[in-house]
Amino acid sequence: MRPIRPILFVLALACSTLASAADALPKVRLFTTGGTIQSRGAHRQKLMEYSDGKVSAPELIADLPELKQISDLSYDEISNVGSPSMTTELTLKLAKAVNAWLAQPDSAGAVITHGTATLEETAYFLTLVIKSDKPVVVVGAMRPFTAVSRDGPFNLYNAVRVAGSPKAVGQGVLIVMNDEILSARETTKGNTYRMDTFVARDVGPLGYADSDQIVFYRHLTYRHTSKSEFDISKLTTLPRVDVEYTHQDADRVGVDAFIAAGAKGVILTSRLDEAVKDGQAKGVVFVSSDRKGSGRVGESAKEAAKGLITSDNLPPHKARILLRLALTKTTDPKEIQRMFNEY
Amino acid sequence: MNTEPTLIPDRPIALSIPMRTKFSTYALLAGLIAGSSFAVSSVSAQEIPTYAPPPEMPANAASLPRIVLMSMGGTIASRGTPRTNITAYGGKDSVRVEPIDWVKDMPELAGIARVTVEDQRSPVDRPSGQETHEDLARVSKRLNELALDPNVDGVVITHGTNTQSEVAYFMTLTVKTDKPIVLVGSQRPWTGMSGDGPRNLYDAVRVAASKDAWGKGVLHCTNQLITPARDVDKTSAYRTNTFKGVDVGAIGFADPDRVVFVREVVRRHTTHSEFAGLDYTTVPGVEIFYGYRDAPGYFIDAAVEHGVKGIIIEGTGAGNATTSQTEAIKRAQAKGVVVVMTARTYGGRVQDTPRRREAKIVPGDNFPAEKARILLQLALTKTTDLAEITRIFNEY
Repeated sequence: MRPIRPILFVLALACSTLASAADALPKVRLFTTGGTIQSRGAHRQKLMEYSDGKVSAPELIADLPELKQISDLSYDEISNVGSPSMTTELTLKLAKAVNAWLAQPDSAGAVITHGTATLEETAYFLTLVIKSDKPVVVVGAMRPFTAVSRDGPFNLYNAVRVAGSPKAVGQGVLIVMNDEILSARETTKGNTYRMDTFVARDVGPLGYADSDQIVFYRHLTYRHTSKSEFDISKLTTLPRVDVEYTHQDADRVGVDAFIAAGAKGVILTSRLDEAVKDGQAKGVVFVSSDRKGSGRVGESAKEAAKGLITSDNLPPHKARILLRLALTKTTDPKEIQRMFNEY
Repeated sequence: MNTEPTLIPDRPIALSIPMRTKFSTYALLAGLIAGSSFAVSSVSAQEIPTYAPPPEMPANAASLPRIVLMSMGGTIASRGTPRTNITAYGGKDSVRVEPIDWVKDMPELAGIARVTVEDQRSPVDRPSGQETHEDLARVSKRLNELALDPNVDGVVITHGTNTQSEVAYFMTLTVKTDKPIVLVGSQRPWTGMSGDGPRNLYDAVRVAASKDAWGKGVLHCTNQLITPARDVDKTSAYRTNTFKGVDVGAIGFADPDRVVFVREVVRRHTTHSEFAGLDYTTVPGVEIFYGYRDAPGYFIDAAVEHGVKGIIIEGTGAGNATTSQTEAIKRAQAKGVVVVMTARTYGGRVQDTPRRREAKIVPGDNFPAEKARILLQLALTKTTDLAEITRIFNEY
């Protein structure tokens, strides 16, 4: 029992220091949406099928007292769902809540917990609709809250560090996992279970959340956040856009079904000229993307003459997000091509 | 002796290839273009097909950017026979590719830029052999001249791929210009089957001629990737996708439709470099010591005795030296030698930790040892102050 007294003393000292420093700490708000980072498994070696309970925002914060040493942290529980269950309505609600928070003059940044499966879609959506230069960081985990050697705590700790860092201002929405700072635009989940799952092929991360400092080696050239023309403040839903996945023998059945279901746009990975022509006659917009996972789709006069828009290096699921937002403004293929070149 | 049947240098190419109907017009056209330029050439690029025409010359050819194509040699400037020889080419008995040969072999370069050539290869008969600091200093000085030349809009430099990233990094620190300077090379000789040289060269000229490439520092372009000098490195001995931006990737693409930049470089370079625009005839000696189990300190003692002013330890893990190295480091520091730590992990930063600060070792960020060496050499021309050198390693 001997060591207790000095420990208490140190604790008391630490608390008083923290209390006085709290005013100076960056005001970060944690927006929780759910995902593996907020999931419980039946036992601590369970790394899949962990649907044995959810972790709330207060529980996440209580689990990681270090967060209070680096930020003046508040929270907002948007949802608690796995990312395959994220919906347009939820992402709109999230974006509006983050915009409202960042509009407050004394807020420093925002962190969003998210399931990793569609994390990159929400992150890219946010980078197109957040109206602020303040840091916005999306974070998740590959191992649940209950797992041995879980990655969630350090990911969350680093996410809050980056969200409170002046270096992260104006960098667009970021993804922080595995000590890496990645851009929402190019980053994709590249592995089903490994903790280094998030990769930005060809272009790499923007920097690192290292222990000694937060480092950026790259800035973006694409338009985002405060430079974006998209405004969701008055929207309650977005136009339907579906994705067609190519394979040998791919035919137009899927595309026709999408249009019958009310799609205003289709992301194509096949060459389906006849279906495109018929769809365009009904006012549907087509973007040509690719399933390979890296590299740009080259812009060509031949494709443009068919009214086809090329997706630059956006994978189909991200091209879908940009097209949905583009369709809130225009259906002109030339104008939408400009957007695909700029965002 | 070249036994390959595809090239007969002293008569028009069109006559030497089979005339398939579909390609006959192309072949004739290519023959007319290639015939004149091949008249003096010996073995030339395999991968510039004569059965397909070059792209059409644009109407604005006379007003295109003026690019200096500078040769510092390399595999891209080497010939070998037979054309499947992609490992033992060049050498004393081989006829080198002269800078003008590239332009003759690929007349379409004139469709993307007004190209002039310049030879900056090290002398073939230099007794000490390969390239030395002397070459870097000379080329840096020349690039600083071209930077001020109103008739030059950009420079493409060929170089052997082995030490290309170091040369590129030296130039991005010492040349004061916003004009594009693009390093290019190839993994296969100019004469090699499926040689990567011709397209790499074409793309490098496209990048140098691009308005968007201004102010980005010295760039490297091979395999259609555009990567800053600071981060580019050779990662494979023979594959043509050898050059990568280690850790942080490429910043753009020389894609078929256009040259695209998707990233801005954060670290200081060229016009923002405090080392730029100066003459570096000599630089302080800096040597590299590799970290491994049982790595001895006596190498370090020997280097200090030899007079080095700086030491790079390419340490194990996150940047660690052996006990023997650590003792030698202390002896070196006592004589005023500056020590920088990099990591042999090839990726990730060496961090600024209290223990490292106490040991007066400068963290080498995410540099490979050979680039940390170049930065330390330049830093030591200005200061030996450790805080100042740490700042330099954080900013460049």
